[in-house]
Amino acid sequence: MLRSVLNRLLGMVVVMALVATIVFVIVRVTPGDPAAIMLGPDATAADIATLRTKLGLDGSIPQQFLHYLAGVMQGDFGQSIFLNEPVTTALLQRAEPTFFLTVFSLMIATVIALPVGILSAYRRGSLFDQAATTIAMFAASVPSFWLGLLFIQFFAVRLGWFDTSGYGGPGASFGERIAHLVLPALALGLVSSALITRFTRASMLDVLNDDYVRTARSKGMSEWRVVLKHALKNALIPILTVIGLTAALLISGAVVTETVFGLPGVGSLVVSAVLRRDYPVIQGALLVIAGLYVLVNFVIDMLYILIDPRVRY
Amino acid sequence: MKRVLQVVASFAALLPALAWAEPQKGGVIDVATVGEPPTLDPMASTADLVGIITQHIYETLYTFDNKWGITPLLAADMPTISPDCLTYTIPLRTGIKFHDGSDMTSADVMASLKRWMKVATRGKQAADVISSLDALDERTVKITLKKPYAPLLSLLSLNNAAAIIIPSENADEDPLTKFIGTGPYMLKDRKPDQFIQLARFDGYRPRDGEPDGYGGARKQYLDEIRFVPVPDPNTRVEGAVAGQFAYADSLPVESYDKISGGKTKPLILKPFGWPVFVMNTKQGLNSDVRIRKAIQAALAPEDMLLAAFGSKDFYAVDGAMYPEGFAWHSDTGTEAYKPEGDTEKAAALLKDAGYDGKPLRILTSRQYEFHYKMAQVAKAYLEQAGFKVELDVVEWATLTKNRTDPALWDIYITHSPFLAEPSLNGFMSDNTPGWWSSDAKHKVLDAFNSETDPAKRAKLYEDVQKVIYDEAPVYKVGDFNALAAEAPNLKGVTPAPWPYFWNAYLEGK
Repeated sequence: MLRSVLNRLLGMVVVMALVATIVFVIVRVTPGDPAAIMLGPDATAADIATLRTKLGLDGSIPQQFLHYLAGVMQGDFGQSIFLNEPVTTALLQRAEPTFFLTVFSLMIATVIALPVGILSAYRRGSLFDQAATTIAMFAASVPSFWLGLLFIQFFAVRLGWFDTSGYGGPGASFGERIAHLVLPALALGLVSSALITRFTRASMLDVLNDDYVRTARSKGMSEWRVVLKHALKNALIPILTVIGLTAALLISGAVVTETVFGLPGVGSLVVSAVLRRDYPVIQGALLVIAGLYVLVNFVIDMLYILIDPRVRY
Repeated sequence: MKRVLQVVASFAALLPALAWAEPQKGGVIDVATVGEPPTLDPMASTADLVGIITQHIYETLYTFDNKWGITPLLAADMPTISPDCLTYTIPLRTGIKFHDGSDMTSADVMASLKRWMKVATRGKQAADVISSLDALDERTVKITLKKPYAPLLSLLSLNNAAAIIIPSENADEDPLTKFIGTGPYMLKDRKPDQFIQLARFDGYRPRDGEPDGYGGARKQYLDEIRFVPVPDPNTRVEGAVAGQFAYADSLPVESYDKISGGKTKPLILKPFGWPVFVMNTKQGLNSDVRIRKAIQAALAPEDMLLAAFGSKDFYAVDGAMYPEGFAWHSDTGTEAYKPEGDTEKAAALLKDAGYDGKPLRILTSRQYEFHYKMAQVAKAYLEQAGFKVELDVVEWATLTKNRTDPALWDIYITHSPFLAEPSLNGFMSDNTPGWWSSDAKHKVLDAFNSETDPAKRAKLYEDVQKVIYDEAPVYKVGDFNALAAEAPNLKGVTPAPWPYFWNAYLEGK
């Protein structure tokens, strides 16, 4: 057990090192220049060259990479070119909206998906099942940002229940900030629920026909105990995997949704950093996101062991 | 007695109306901007967004009045210019306070101008002709030039790469970290990608008189102005329609109908600027002026503008480099501008130039959808004339990088507001992408830049425009208007290329 955990941890380090290298190289070979963007359209070539030197962008790529790696080892992701603050600070500031958006979307998604998925499987072929499958199919093909635009149009513009965008003005209370997450969380949650519903249904179908379920029934156990206790527990592993991956996807910033709703989260930070070629922020953010992905996967693997004692790595 | 009472009563009845007519202090507005500015140091950037926000915080010695003439701001008056046009003696206003409470003196002006000449793109341009900078006393500075240079005052007036005046103790900072100026509003708080909060500066002393463009008295009715970055144009539109933003900048023209009803209303700045095809005169196909002339003849601005802006409400087919209303307006040389294109002439010019079928590379992006639409129409017309055309559609940051390499493109597409001083347009410099440099250009531009009399300069500009049309270093497509949305109770906002919100007030406040 301990050995397998250690093995996994080692694997994580390797993955992170690969991510750091690939991101660094891709960012540098992409055309575009932070200095040119910062100085504006009328800047001269000489001005741009001077600023590049000042930003440390004039060295060779391997040189810059070694410098960067040395910093990362010490937990220093560098200084954002545009925000004039450390990348870590920038990321921490954006963590709140992204974190709560993830939690709310996931809550909405699971609250919808689990009951619907279970019931669909249980009443396989029924009108409910067919309706649920069709709607899930439809929801899975709708981009969440588009759903978001519809929500803005209806709930914010027409009904005026919410602000159309942003995360509250100066001095906004926690409650006011959270209110800005309702629409994006709904949009993301609904779309994510489709995938989880389909997995729940498929996974439940697999186990509902198993012998032990029949045995449980023949013992005279109540139906809902059979379904929720015996069947669901065994069906949970693939469902958990999907929920975990959805969570990771959401943490990494529902990039487009955040941009549409003007949320100052990790996703929109990455987008704006890419557009203005803020290298340190792109690198730092992607490294942290990759780290979270790896971590979520690790946690899910560990959960498997808890749920299913047969699982051994 | 009764009559007296009646008279008093009728005056009293008038009072509410009077109070309503006079704008009242108070209120907070949210202004949706196109994004987060790269810096709050307007010396360090020529980006419009930086200028729009920071012009509320800092001020320059001079600025523009509502006819784009130069008018004093922190300077007490227009400069005394020596007869040889080489020395500018600038009197400063007294009793001006910075946001940190200190007084502005000539020492601050000297330190700021020196920083400007070192840091700012336009400052460096000025530094080339400035031989010395002196403080004559606490309230007077003197600028001495190496040669007569008329654009100087415009350079001192612009709000991007701006010659802002900051306290001398901050002038050594680069990048600037203390955002302290003399403007009517001061920086209160900033959360990147969330808001920039400006609050009324109580120590501000406006100029006497009435507001006049960017100049004159700057009134401080609003308590706070908050600039909210909303990069997605649709979200800006929805926010305006929902009444969340008192002002939403730079909206797509398609949204005109949508913002016309209810909680917001359209505000059109006419004309805002000009879309431009910049030709690479240094390398490749367009280093041959004959090819450039063929392009000039082939393009059909009427169709290009219609495709780009959809309705005549938003553009004008106009070859003059400055539209009517500007002192620089003239039609000299514009015969070469063909609203519907002249395919036959273009084909003939192309044949004379010995065009060998090498593809003409147009570098553009979809950051501004109208650039891309114009590129598509241009491609069709150029192909009709016999060109082979390649569209190189990249994202904006890539475009700004690639245009600096003359090996990569033949035309790139951009746009510009009508700058009050023609010689500040990018292509007037030999070093900006496009690299237009010719004897004819230098001759007319030198004459134009060394004349200080506005009337004579307007006449000399006709020669400049003629050379622009003769040598086609750029192709001006036409004039276009900008669309913004403002709340019906927001008053006092004058449409401007760099919108400003001093003088603005909320009705019924």
